Amino acid sequence: MPSSDPPTAESAPPQAPSPAQGKGNTAKQPKGKEPAAPTDGPKLSGAELKKRAKEEKAARRAEALLAKGAAVPVVPLTPGQQPKAEGQKGAKGQRQHQRGGSTSVELRNLPVRGAQKVVPGPIATEPKKEDKTVEFFRHLYKTRTTSIAGASKDVHPAVLALGLQMSNYTICGSCARLVATLQAFKRVIESYTTPPQNSLSRHLTSHVLSPQIEYLSSCRPLSISMGNAIRWLKLEVSKVDVSVPDAEAKKGLCDAIDVFIRERVTFADQVIARSAADKIKNGDVIMTYAKSSIVQRALVTAHEEGKKFRVIIVDSRPLHEGKHLAAALVKIGMDVKYCLINGLSHNIQDVTKVLLGAHAMMSNGRLFSRIGTALVAMEANEADKPVIVLCETIKFTERVALDSIVHNEIAPSDELVIPGGPLENWGDIKKLQLCNPMYDVTPADYIQMIVTESGNVPPTSVPVLHRLGNESQG
Amino acid sequence: MASPGNIPQNEKSKSFDIVETYHQLLKEDPDLTMPVAAIEALIELLVQSRAVTVYETLDLVKTQSDYLKSRIPNSISLSAGTDLFQRYMISSLKPSSTGNFDTMRQHLLSNGRLFVSRAKAGREKIATYGRHFVRDGSVVLTHGGSRVVGALLGKAAEASKSGGNVRFKVIYVMNDARSSESKAVVSTLRAKGVPVATISEGAVGYAMGKVNLVIVGAEGVVENGGIISRLGTYQIALLAKAAGKPFYVAAESHKFVRLYPLGQYDLGIDQEVIVFKTDKEDLSSEEKKFAERTPEIEEKKEYFAPGMDMPKPNTAVDAVDFTPPALVSALITEEGVLTPSAVSEELISVWW
Repeated sequence: MPSSDPPTAESAPPQAPSPAQGKGNTAKQPKGKEPAAPTDGPKLSGAELKKRAKEEKAARRAEALLAKGAAVPVVPLTPGQQPKAEGQKGAKGQRQHQRGGSTSVELRNLPVRGAQKVVPGPIATEPKKEDKTVEFFRHLYKTRTTSIAGASKDVHPAVLALGLQMSNYTICGSCARLVATLQAFKRVIESYTTPPQNSLSRHLTSHVLSPQIEYLSSCRPLSISMGNAIRWLKLEVSKVDVSVPDAEAKKGLCDAIDVFIRERVTFADQVIARSAADKIKNGDVIMTYAKSSIVQRALVTAHEEGKKFRVIIVDSRPLHEGKHLAAALVKIGMDVKYCLINGLSHNIQDVTKVLLGAHAMMSNGRLFSRIGTALVAMEANEADKPVIVLCETIKFTERVALDSIVHNEIAPSDELVIPGGPLENWGDIKKLQLCNPMYDVTPADYIQMIVTESGNVPPTSVPVLHRLGNESQG
Repeated sequence: MASPGNIPQNEKSKSFDIVETYHQLLKEDPDLTMPVAAIEALIELLVQSRAVTVYETLDLVKTQSDYLKSRIPNSISLSAGTDLFQRYMISSLKPSSTGNFDTMRQHLLSNGRLFVSRAKAGREKIATYGRHFVRDGSVVLTHGGSRVVGALLGKAAEASKSGGNVRFKVIYVMNDARSSESKAVVSTLRAKGVPVATISEGAVGYAMGKVNLVIVGAEGVVENGGIISRLGTYQIALLAKAAGKPFYVAAESHKFVRLYPLGQYDLGIDQEVIVFKTDKEDLSSEEKKFAERTPEIEEKKEYFAPGMDMPKPNTAVDAVDFTPPALVSALITEEGVLTPSAVSEELISVWW
């Protein structure tokens, strides 16, 4: 391909408001800053706050411009801000609530993403310069909503809060996000009343749930498991009898959600941890990559049974999720070795089994998981060590993946930059692009076994289990 | 866990011992496979038992199956039978099914017998499917004393006699530890007019160039489509793969077992195959453990009254190995020719 300069013009629209923002609105900045501060906790530095406020302003301005341009009755700034303040209060209380309700409490010591407040940034920060997106991954770049400004008024406060928590990785991990989403939707359903001349089964999904889902996916692309759960919920809503009174129907739906979470996540996790722990024998050396809550549970279960084994945790930049796993395991007195991915080929020699978590399992038996997983699996396969994937069937999908380019998620490139390092001003360097995808795809040949709540299966049986799982659901 | 003593039985049948019955059945009928013998023993148990409730019956079968498994050194193949029978009982003893307990028990017994006779007939069916793999002029490599493979090759040989024009040769890998069995297989085939060459286990790689296909039997087919079979099967499969020759497994579908080994040392049984020694004396148990790196099997003490001895671990003579699914071209079963990955689907459909 020739130079990447021409496309700049095409991808310009989202950038348009930002030059204007720099000039005109500096005076108002402090205003936006104060209400925003409490939501995000103490971790943001002053500079980051400033940046954030700037973006919010830009977004608001863009909205106003749009409204004017479309000749729609102008949405004045003040009413626009009103729901925002409300949402933030809701967000505060909500977070507490969800943490309690979520099944995986130990998930909470989460990686903090320092630079993620910058809107997938090169576009916003370098408007006039070259396009900093990477050619092959260009279809994956999406501007993430990192504030509630500009959210549709239909979005429920619980969902607003959840969206923010997802976009800044406070709630992270496929299953944690799934559970939190369903809990939030429960709140949405609870506060719903069917308008007259409408039936719940026809109105709820299209008019109430859809905007929530749209907002959530704008904060961070939906995970496969969330997609599965939402599909199930929609089906469940559509099955509600028209003659059933509102209160009863709502209660039925909420109960169904509870049962769903219990069966597909809580109970499934227990079963998987149990059968994975059975696979761990005395004297084993278990390797794992990054951090998966279910792998952690399995290791802890085996340790509590008094089995003697060692764990090697492989980790990588920029998230260093493995640190948290290592800390948690050391705390309960396990024998842990921590290394970065460049020490992989050395450390694989002593290993007897590799346990991996999953973001999703594809129908062709491939594993979709945190970037770097494929490397570990390949190395393990090369050294003839069995690779075991721990995965709930809710994460199975009928989609197939041949590479990690078509479906993926691009995280902000600035996460890769070490403050003070040589790349600090990478935006100014011509023809340099950074690429920070979140997931990769592991070929099925490298996987010996998938531990699910319905038994241990080879990768070739993923479509069978997926079909059965959906049948029993529907 | 219950001990064998708590079987609800009357005075007369107290002498019933499932392990003895099992061995008796195997001895009486040389054509019987281990899973089928286990099922027959369990049916015998049901006939003898005086259990009057569904739960009692299920519990009885479960404890007795576990007891039987614990007394046999290599219980993999056998557990396929006991698991299948328990599964079948659970599905047919559902409270919703009609009739009282006695008619249900009768139904169960008669159906169990039907199952046994069907399992025996399965071998013929496999032979019918499998003989088409043996083409005119081909050379088949095999080893072990599998009755299914024997039936399959016999069928192919008959076809050539009756004008089917299939002439094939067999290379048989002799097993020194079981030379009488090997000789019997070879002489049966030669009697049917099939030219047989016998080679030692060390000559398999040498002979592979002359071979068109490999057919072996199996003790058990595990969940991922791999097989558990007589020691030596794994290396033959590896050599066949290296030479690009198809490797077929002939096995009845009742040998499908709910087991998922990750490798040779994950079979759940103790095998004394690798034993390190020096001139002076045996290594201490500590050193031995280090050398073998095989996981220990927890002792099942509860089954043994003092004075009873533990079953001895498998020695090299009747040891087994695990052949991973990637080395298996296809499984020839009475339900058709399956790919290794179809085994898992088959098991899921039975157990879901």
